[in-house]
Amino acid sequence: MKHFMIKQFNGLDYATTQRLHSLGLQVGSEILAVRFYPFHGPVIIQADHQRIGIRYQVFQQLTGGDAS
Amino acid sequence: MTTVALLGNPNTGKTTLFNELTDKYAYVGNWTGVTVEKKVGQIRHSHTQVIDLPGVYSLNPITKDESVVTNYLLQNSPDLILNVTNASQLKRNLLLSVEVLELGVPVIITLNMIDDLKRSGHFYDLKTLSDKLGCPVRTSNARNKEGLTQLKADLVCDQSEIQPDSPLKLAYPMMVKQAIRQAAESLTNDYKIDNKFAHWLAIQYINNNKVVRKYALKHQLKPLLSQKAYYDAQKFADQIFETRLSFIEATLSAATEQLQSTKHVALTSKIDKVVTHPIFGLPIFVGIFYLMFKLSFDWVGTPISTQLDKLLSGPISHWANQFLTQVGALPMLRSLIVNGLIAGVGGVLVFIPQIFVLFACISILEDSGYMARAALVTDRIMEMIGLNGKAFIPLIIGFGCNVTGIMAARTIEQPKERLITTLISPFMSCSARLPIYSLFVAALFPRHQALIVLSLYFLGIVVALLMAKFYHVMFKAKEHSVFIVELPQYHIPRLDIVWHGTWDKGKGFIKKAGTIIFAGTVLIWLLSNFGTRGYVTQIDQSFAANLGKVLLPVFKPIGISTWQPISALLTGVLAKEVISSSMMVLFHTSNQGALIAMIGGSFTALSAYALLVFILLYIPCFATIGTIKSETGSAKWAAYSVVSSLFISYSLAFLIFQIGSLLT
Repeated sequence: MKHFMIKQFNGLDYATTQRLHSLGLQVGSEILAVRFYPFHGPVIIQADHQRIGIRYQVFQQLTGGDAS
Repeated sequence: MTTVALLGNPNTGKTTLFNELTDKYAYVGNWTGVTVEKKVGQIRHSHTQVIDLPGVYSLNPITKDESVVTNYLLQNSPDLILNVTNASQLKRNLLLSVEVLELGVPVIITLNMIDDLKRSGHFYDLKTLSDKLGCPVRTSNARNKEGLTQLKADLVCDQSEIQPDSPLKLAYPMMVKQAIRQAAESLTNDYKIDNKFAHWLAIQYINNNKVVRKYALKHQLKPLLSQKAYYDAQKFADQIFETRLSFIEATLSAATEQLQSTKHVALTSKIDKVVTHPIFGLPIFVGIFYLMFKLSFDWVGTPISTQLDKLLSGPISHWANQFLTQVGALPMLRSLIVNGLIAGVGGVLVFIPQIFVLFACISILEDSGYMARAALVTDRIMEMIGLNGKAFIPLIIGFGCNVTGIMAARTIEQPKERLITTLISPFMSCSARLPIYSLFVAALFPRHQALIVLSLYFLGIVVALLMAKFYHVMFKAKEHSVFIVELPQYHIPRLDIVWHGTWDKGKGFIKKAGTIIFAGTVLIWLLSNFGTRGYVTQIDQSFAANLGKVLLPVFKPIGISTWQPISALLTGVLAKEVISSSMMVLFHTSNQGALIAMIGGSFTALSAYALLVFILLYIPCFATIGTIKSETGSAKWAAYSVVSSLFISYSLAFLIFQIGSLLT
């Protein structure tokens, strides 16, 4: 499991940004990447003891494109 | 009568709390404008009415079911709001609480699922929370009935006893504060809007709340409308969010207490290691469904159904017949009751065990928290057809009933994806289609009953997915899918909650048996006992036979060679259960065994399968057509659904029968 930090919300559509905000995520939030699904499937992240599934592209945007 | 509205994030145990607090709910009604089910219940031995609202993350809605809550607050004013929060995720839950507290309606916050929080090793000082937020704060655990007595005592009070609350005032940046104050003042002075409400309206409007913006436009609230560009240019919404979040963080850090003992919650991550496995997750998902069908059709449901049928077609039918003969009832009436109602309606009622086992399985999956994982493991496949994993949940719920499935599609964020999900939902094999499958598999595939039924379910899914892809290309849906799914902690399913969920879903089936299936059965009895020359004793001369025979050439290419199933299919549009009760009446049998023998005689394995495929996919029932119309807001889509499903079902049944005939 790898630690990431949310760097930006740029490039995400309004609804996605709003939903992520509602889940308490903002620039600077620490997140933990718990699991990556094959073929660039969804990513499970953990923040504040809660697990959330998001799309790979969204994960990449949030962490500034350094997802590996 | 005091009205209490239950409001909170999804996955906070709101519905469980609602069920614990209230008696069976009095009625299910509609909101003005949108047709969504609201649940209204009454607290036992009191005059307090509780309204269960859909779970929302914020008062600024993204999905259709979220806008219900905002519309409720705009149009109604409850005496009290019970804000249910998930204690272990208080930070984000309070984002909603802040919005509610700003409204100025009396609020009680309950930290629900409090044991999950304790297990994680910390706790909150309730007094600090209550002081900072300006409202009473309670703790509860609805699943174990903890803290409910206190909550009930809080809610059961007279309207007059409730203290008016002053709204929570956050320290927004100066510019924002000023904008709120100015707008609220003119709303109060020029539009005679209550000051507290005006204040809240202004905040929500500035915060880019779509529903509130629409409301302002409708009521021509000039002070807000004229400033829209300014609010947006200044990015006030972002500033509001940041202020709220830092207020919450400060509040929580002041209130947090560490507990000595830390029993870490390992259960959830242990289970998740297996069921959300990148590779095995999908096979496990399929396995769980296979198990569900085995339980419903092989292990538990079917044996009980068989016993029930024996009772109904044996002693009860016999006794009714004797009784009616003794009291000297007309032969026609006796035929209506024994051959029509007992055989027809009873023929549907015997499937209650199978349907309830299936509903129980779905309820267990819902209650345990697995559904969110199912959305996750299926997302990659759904992405290929332009939908997302969340669309899978309405489809699975559609296995119970297409109507509830289509309603569940409201949680999908993108309008086009929601429309596609609505259109493909009727291909999900709902429980009403089960009785007829059961009859045919018992007649022609006695050794592979579960497998054949499962294959139909999967065929339904495949057709639905292919159509989804087709629509995706047709609609040129380019918007990105919004896929954010919360993975809640697992809970060991509790018997009474599962029973509640099962009953909630299944009671509609029993109700239908008393109404539309009853009516359908009487209709088909009339059609099959009357002909052009009045009452006929030979069913061959009845209206039903005439109608079936006229249509026979159309159905011949898909393997139907007798008129009875055709007449039964026509009545099936009323409700799919009616197909099997009609078959009972049309084949003039009073028990399942005899009907199964009849079916075995007039179908081959191939023609039976083609017919089952036709039944799986043809015209949705009335209730579903109505729901499609109300959810899409247009009769056009409902009509389209009828025509397209008829076309698809006929083509597929045709191909199966014709190609199958060539091969055998």
